[in-house]
Amino acid sequence: MKRRQFLGRAGAFGAAGMASSLSAPALLSSTRAAFAQGDDIPVGVLFSLTGAVAVVEHTLHDATLLAIEEINAAGGIHGKQLRPIIEDPASDPATYADRARRLMIRDKCVSVFGSYTSASRQAVLPVTEQRNNLYWYPTLYEGRECSRNVMYGGAVPNQQQDDLIPWAIENFGPRFYLIGNNYVYPKEENNYCKSLLSKLGGEVVHEEYVPLGHSDFSSAINRIRAEEPDVIFATVVGDSDVAFARQYHAAELDPAKMPVISLTRSEVEVKAIGGEAAAGHFSSAPYFMGHDTPENERFVENYKARFGADEVTHFVSEAAYFQVYQFKAALEKLDPSEITPAAIRDAAVGLTLNAPQGEVLIDENLHTHLWPKIGQWQSDGQAKVLIQSKERVAPKPYAAYEGQTCTSQGLVKA
Amino acid sequence: MNSRFFYDLIALALFSAVIVLGVPALMGYDGFELNTFARYLSLAIVSMALALSWGTAGLLNLGQAATFGMGAYAMAMHLKLRASDGLPDFMGWNNVEKLPAVWVPFESLSFTLLAGLLVPAAVGGLIAIFMFRARIAGVFVAVITLAFLVAFQLLVIEQQGLTGGQNGLTGLAPLTLFGWTVDTYSASFYYLVAGCLTVALALGVYLSHSKFGLILRAIREDAERTRFFGYNVATYQTVIFCISAALAGWAGMLYVLVLEFASPTYMGVSFSLAIVIWCAVGGRESVLAAAAGAIIVNVLEGRLSDVFVEGWHMLLGIVFVLVVMFMPRGIYGVIVDVVHKINEARRGGRQNAAEEALLPATIQTNRER
Repeated sequence: MKRRQFLGRAGAFGAAGMASSLSAPALLSSTRAAFAQGDDIPVGVLFSLTGAVAVVEHTLHDATLLAIEEINAAGGIHGKQLRPIIEDPASDPATYADRARRLMIRDKCVSVFGSYTSASRQAVLPVTEQRNNLYWYPTLYEGRECSRNVMYGGAVPNQQQDDLIPWAIENFGPRFYLIGNNYVYPKEENNYCKSLLSKLGGEVVHEEYVPLGHSDFSSAINRIRAEEPDVIFATVVGDSDVAFARQYHAAELDPAKMPVISLTRSEVEVKAIGGEAAAGHFSSAPYFMGHDTPENERFVENYKARFGADEVTHFVSEAAYFQVYQFKAALEKLDPSEITPAAIRDAAVGLTLNAPQGEVLIDENLHTHLWPKIGQWQSDGQAKVLIQSKERVAPKPYAAYEGQTCTSQGLVKA
Repeated sequence: MNSRFFYDLIALALFSAVIVLGVPALMGYDGFELNTFARYLSLAIVSMALALSWGTAGLLNLGQAATFGMGAYAMAMHLKLRASDGLPDFMGWNNVEKLPAVWVPFESLSFTLLAGLLVPAAVGGLIAIFMFRARIAGVFVAVITLAFLVAFQLLVIEQQGLTGGQNGLTGLAPLTLFGWTVDTYSASFYYLVAGCLTVALALGVYLSHSKFGLILRAIREDAERTRFFGYNVATYQTVIFCISAALAGWAGMLYVLVLEFASPTYMGVSFSLAIVIWCAVGGRESVLAAAAGAIIVNVLEGRLSDVFVEGWHMLLGIVFVLVVMFMPRGIYGVIVDVVHKINEARRGGRQNAAEEALLPATIQTNRER
């Protein structure tokens, strides 16, 4: 299943290499069919398998495929199998845009599952909205987006921070050091964090942004040592976060006195950091691999059986997994003859589903109601869940901005 | 008119006929395929722009993506203003209170189109003046332009309030040109891009066969000697650098229209190196070959990735290695060699001194490099 299924084109590529493919009309013809009218249901899978973000996106790709395989093994939807059409956008926004066009226009996918970074999601948006298709985006993100063509499966700032910030002030103190990569996600999270801190009487001792991929944190660590904040609030991503955590540990800063509280550090990053260096610090997320529910037990077991016993699941791959089941549930509400992306979206609103993290609900603003948790990393690379929110938290993608609400009619400004 | 100019004109006519008439018919006027191909054609413009400076004048510009990106951002700024009422959304996220002064003139389409050509030309010219006045040549031109590219991309990413940072400029309005709202999936948009490429190629063919082009080739072969003939080498180099940069900016504007967003990855090192590869595969000595190279490599990339989801990068890499090993002058070189051999066989030993002397000499100097 790693390879595209219509290998019928395979013979043709050689001709393209020989000379200009302009002379090979068969190559250029496109498949024409109405949505899902055939024997199967085509869905796009658009995660980078190569390039800078491949390490994370490959796990999302795997989780999505796992769900698709499980659904197919159980008989599909309305008796039809899901046909995953896999593309590798190679961590490049322009390639994302190109492959999304292929999936949505040429291959007539009824939905596409994809993207980790906001940059790639926004590269896919123009064609998605223009063609009124549906893009299932599993990642936590900065909010402030209200597309009617994206199903947002990850947390927005209010879902990660509303419980976290009061808890951190109570347990460690009110002086926060904000550190993140220099792009929109950390800035938005910090904007929201600052608005919470000002309500709760906390203060920001320093706010720092490092370039994406930055890996030398010695000056930041010196400043942290000098300022002695109570909490390091981190929105550092990917390789940067791995470097930051390792250097923080090497500098012998004590997590019991100055813990790093991260919105982005998951089992994947901790695996790269090493359990020793990560131990004692905290993350806020709706899902941890060690979460104890029957759904999660099944998810982790199947994932390991399919992709290897060393593999980890995390809060983005969990969403990639349950979003396929949300898609299935939406399709089951529809008559097989009227499957269109817009119909799937409308059917999905209000759906509840027992996800590994707990029962999730799709809001009318197409974001997801989630179960925020606070976990403390242990030296075995797993998180111990300390706090689980008492109730499911509604997504408010415009929480930091008064008078703006994302509704079923799109963005409404008061 | 010499015979080579004549052959180039015929090739240009054939090439235009294929992209304007052939391609749309072959693809059955399908919106998606036309859109994909329009993307390849806009990339062909930046590839032929590189052929002008690299192939003709011997100046390997590894910063071509920077000027491409300038054109792209100019167009995207205009379309972003069209899409937003008041301040563009990303400025709000970056706590920018009012529209920055550099953004204001992009309200006007004519200013945007001019800026998309002239800003890259001016920046390219400035770098060129500093480089070529100092008689920097060879690999150092490549190093300096590459360094500029990296610095420029960092600057664009850093200035989030002005440029949208890592995410670039997204959520753009469609372009309205003389009351015609451009639909990027339509045949008319495809013809617009194909027309632009044809005009750019005609300009390129003209330049390479003009006296100006001849002097550039002389500079490529031996800059010192040309200087002793009394030509101002730096001025010639600067002018071709400007023209190449303006063409790259033009390509960037079209690219944004196709993809409907601008991203700092358009100014990335890997994109810039990709342009060099297209140009090398096609053949840097001819603007037509360089344009064809861009189209061929991109079509190949598209088709390969369709079939080999995970291995396509490696397959493409193998193709490039083979091209460099066995076709150092690209597809163009192969065609020239074949034509040359046929002529030789036909003449059967009769000597045409002038042409014979010219061709092997060019091949040799190029092999040495």
